[in-house]
Amino acid sequence: MMKSTRRLRPRIARAACALALTLPLAACDALTPGSAATVEGPRSVPSSTAVPEGDVTLRIQFADAPPMVDALIAAFEKGHPGISVEPQYKTFTDYVQNLKLTMTSDSAPDIAQYAVGMTDLAEDGHILDLAPYREAYGWDESIPPVSLDQLTAGQQSEATGGRALFGVPAGLSMTGIYYNKELAEKAGIDGPPRTLAEFEDQLAAAKDAGLTPLGVGGLDTGGLHLWAALLNQTMPTDDYWDWVNGSKGATVENEAGLTASELVVEWGRKGYYNESANGTAQIDSTAQFAQGDSVFLINGNWAAGQLATTMADNVGFFPMPGEDAGDPTVASGFSVAYAVSSRTEHPEAAGAFLDFLTTPEAGQIISDNGFLPPNPEAVAKPEGVLADVAEGHRKAVGDDGITTFPDFAAPAMLDRLRSGVQKLIADRVEPADYLDSLQDEWEEHHAE
Amino acid sequence: MPSRPPVRPPGTRGRSPWRGYVYVLPAFLVYVAFAVLPALHTAYLSLFEWDGVTLGEWVGLGNYLEILQDSVLRRSVFNALVLVVFFSFIPIVLGLAMTGLLARYRRPGMGAYRFLFMLPQVIPLVAVGVTWRWLYGDDGLVNQAFGAVGLDGVTRAWLGDFGAALIAVGLVGTWVLSGLCMMLFLSGVQKVDPNLYEAARIDGAGPVREFVSVTLPHLRGELAVAMTVTTVAALASFDIVYVTTNGGPGEQTTVPGLLVYRLAFSEGKVGLAAALAVVLGLLILAIVYLINRLSRTET
Repeated sequence: MMKSTRRLRPRIARAACALALTLPLAACDALTPGSAATVEGPRSVPSSTAVPEGDVTLRIQFADAPPMVDALIAAFEKGHPGISVEPQYKTFTDYVQNLKLTMTSDSAPDIAQYAVGMTDLAEDGHILDLAPYREAYGWDESIPPVSLDQLTAGQQSEATGGRALFGVPAGLSMTGIYYNKELAEKAGIDGPPRTLAEFEDQLAAAKDAGLTPLGVGGLDTGGLHLWAALLNQTMPTDDYWDWVNGSKGATVENEAGLTASELVVEWGRKGYYNESANGTAQIDSTAQFAQGDSVFLINGNWAAGQLATTMADNVGFFPMPGEDAGDPTVASGFSVAYAVSSRTEHPEAAGAFLDFLTTPEAGQIISDNGFLPPNPEAVAKPEGVLADVAEGHRKAVGDDGITTFPDFAAPAMLDRLRSGVQKLIADRVEPADYLDSLQDEWEEHHAE
Repeated sequence: MPSRPPVRPPGTRGRSPWRGYVYVLPAFLVYVAFAVLPALHTAYLSLFEWDGVTLGEWVGLGNYLEILQDSVLRRSVFNALVLVVFFSFIPIVLGLAMTGLLARYRRPGMGAYRFLFMLPQVIPLVAVGVTWRWLYGDDGLVNQAFGAVGLDGVTRAWLGDFGAALIAVGLVGTWVLSGLCMMLFLSGVQKVDPNLYEAARIDGAGPVREFVSVTLPHLRGELAVAMTVTTVAALASFDIVYVTTNGGPGEQTTVPGLLVYRLAFSEGKVGLAAALAVVLGLLILAIVYLINRLSRTET
């Protein structure tokens, strides 16, 4: 039996060695980061509007407004009996964080909601360039150009030579200021301000009346919406676009960036914000505003439905005013847009679905669900604060003034903006240093 | 000189001593597949600059250099070390105090106490974080309590205050981990021979003396376990911070665990995240090793 032990030991040792060697070796190729993700480049999109015969199933993955998507799908399927659409809902955080893995996997959905990471995916050919469809379907007529411009990922189209298109919007968003009409009256404020200076006077008046002037949910994104809203007034829109799109030489380290950042600091020094702005989440700041805790609130149209329900006629909305009364209306906004995977086997069916999103029928569904339809003319007029939002949006679209959110400038920008604006609000950073940190991140991302 | 073959129990003739490893093999393989290989893979990824999609670029130790140079990353390690005080030191002191109070007397209702102190351990940390965010809120219970006793000057937005946020987050950890320490120590005390307490009492020892001379020396093993578990919890902290402050305000509560997550999933710097994870893992291993060394030499 000693013999058997002796014979066994080398065998086991040999087996262990083999295991130890082959496992990592066999895995090595697959382990090289990114090696599995390379695709053969974007598939060409037929430029016809023909919809395939026979049964087709489209999978759509999304993160915003499940009831709206369900309603859109139901309406689309009614008109296209051959195509069934299968919704796959994920919460926003999960969605954004898994987006790259999802879209580069073999089981990528046919259609996916457009989000920040899409720019990288588009660059690497994981997203279909829809420019040929834009021409075939005439989306330039049915969708305001400013909404399509956001979805170009800063690229030229290989197929058409013009601007690329990586998504189609269904429902648009926009940030602005809500105000509590009762409290505003108490502070002697008689209506929405026409200029930035007038808005500052109103904030001061609210302060003098012993009220909290401006509610900010700075724990997550409220602070960056405030900063971006001010930057939109101080910075020429084209420069802002260049910066967000990563155009060579663009910067926020300039007079416009300084003015906007200094305003955030100054308003903090004057005590215009709710005391715990940095510790309040966006959604909590909205609830507090609804309870009458502040005269104004910075937020986006996505809060309008909730505020209309809880405050009824007591709430109004206006886009952040410009420096002069005649300035165009400029506000940050984006769309709940959908992109198509380059791995889809049904690009024509996907195109048909995207085209459906631009129809008046889809627009009404979008409007009913609290979002701004890409083409507001086609839907029934909303009421109350929803009408204020729609009016503000109409002006901004008319002025070509819907700019995208500043965190689209780089994947890490959201964190820099969030923590940076928190420091501005608390007067813990020099505006110049804050802008420097943003620009550093920008340059690191757009280095190549 | 050949020694006598070992005497085996009947029925095991002919079996090799290696046979035991066969039984371990399935677990070992699972461990290798799901713990060792991913860890090695992480270390491997840390040598690349990779955005999570395109082909990675070999940068050698570049990511590690970047970690050493990045002030935010350094700040996060400092924050984690501050959290050790709140997650480890204070809970152990509190746990010992509660053990001293609860172990000496057997009274009805002790079970209820234990249950109450243990409760934070049972609740998922995300729920704990959400609850405390409300408690720390503008008109949350914490501020209400200060207001009720006339300390209006103290009230603030705890999680949004640059001076108070890290302490506020740390105290959540204290709340969670004190009960765990207490449970560990209580179970340790139950192993102590009651005669020792009796002898101490006969010798005229008061409660404090009894605790210091009898209870404490018998808790060395439990103390080592408590220190290990709580220190790891502090250094690897993620969920509480993520839910309550997400690292803010500014970088006041940013911890390495949060940065690993952020770098990998939202900022597209997978290599850097992997490098930070490796550094964090090594740091934790070193500290755990140190704790074990210290507690072993003492016994």
